[in-house]
Amino acid sequence: MSDLLYLYGLIPTKEANEKALPSMKGFDGEGELYTIEIGDVTAIVCDLPPNEYSEETIKDKVDNDMDWLQEKAFHHHETVLMVSKLYTIIPLKFCTLYKNEDSLKSTIEGNRNKLETTFTQLDGNEEWNVKIYCDDKLLKKQVSESNPSIEAKRKEISELPKGRQFFEKKKIDQLIDRELENEKNRLCEEVHEKLKEHSLHGNIKKNWSKDVTGRQEHMAWNSVFLLPVSNVDEFVEEIKQYEEELGHAGWKIEASGPWPPYHFSSFS
Amino acid sequence: MTVRESIENKDIALIDILDVILDKGVAIKGDLIISIAGVDLVYLDLRVLISSVETLVQHKQGTRKTVTSDQFDKEREGLIHATGQRDKWAN
Repeated sequence: MSDLLYLYGLIPTKEANEKALPSMKGFDGEGELYTIEIGDVTAIVCDLPPNEYSEETIKDKVDNDMDWLQEKAFHHHETVLMVSKLYTIIPLKFCTLYKNEDSLKSTIEGNRNKLETTFTQLDGNEEWNVKIYCDDKLLKKQVSESNPSIEAKRKEISELPKGRQFFEKKKIDQLIDRELENEKNRLCEEVHEKLKEHSLHGNIKKNWSKDVTGRQEHMAWNSVFLLPVSNVDEFVEEIKQYEEELGHAGWKIEASGPWPPYHFSSFS
Repeated sequence: MTVRESIENKDIALIDILDVILDKGVAIKGDLIISIAGVDLVYLDLRVLISSVETLVQHKQGTRKTVTSDQFDKEREGLIHATGQRDKWAN
């Protein structure tokens, strides 16, 4: 049985010919990365023994071996990031494996046009990630004190008999929670639209829970942008201004980048 | 150092990396993690992975277990207290 191919990314063959790929260790820490030329597209790969890596063993590792996941996720990230600093890259997601060179080739050939368009789109642009976090407690207090509909409801309750006040107060807590969510979305959407003006594309992603981020604040917004390199300075400057403006009110707006363009180069 | 440079030099958390390399956003169908094999893609449920990441974070924090057992003790105390009250009523 031939080796499996771990595919890190695709680069234009023209760029691959101008600069040789530096020596880098492969996924198992033993083999080396190498390139396979497939017409205009060059694949950056390493070999993996099929008896050690299969769908089942990888699934099992991801499920049960967190140290492995961490080590390999970092490896994938660092390798792709390194390559992205040297070439225009279409990065592949974690653990993209092909059975053999033929199957890789036929996939690439079947997507030739798409790949070419993607390379053109990515040229001169960078991917940046923006996450907005907020202190729910602080915001809740603000919402509770400054929202007119809550204020009106409170007044209404204070005129009710004592017994009913208890249940109505419970309802008001729910109202505050709803208004808090509205307020969070309103602000995040406003920031997102403003940031989008600097970018070619802006996508909204799923928020992660506090358990996953391990942070005190809640993630209120998770987004990703494709920016022309010349716009990056004004983009991060805008984020800094928002941060200064909203920081005291319990908001944190964090940019990270440039990332290999994982979100703007899907071809499969 | 410009704002941009200071962002570029900042350390990246594991979650930020997983957020990017596991979830390609646009392509997300809820189950797009591991693609293996020839032309056919094999999917792994994203929920499986997220729960793995949650376990990882808890594992890393290490203190979570202690907090849980503290809470457990408190609840047990509360129960004993409540039982005491009930005994009083029984007398």
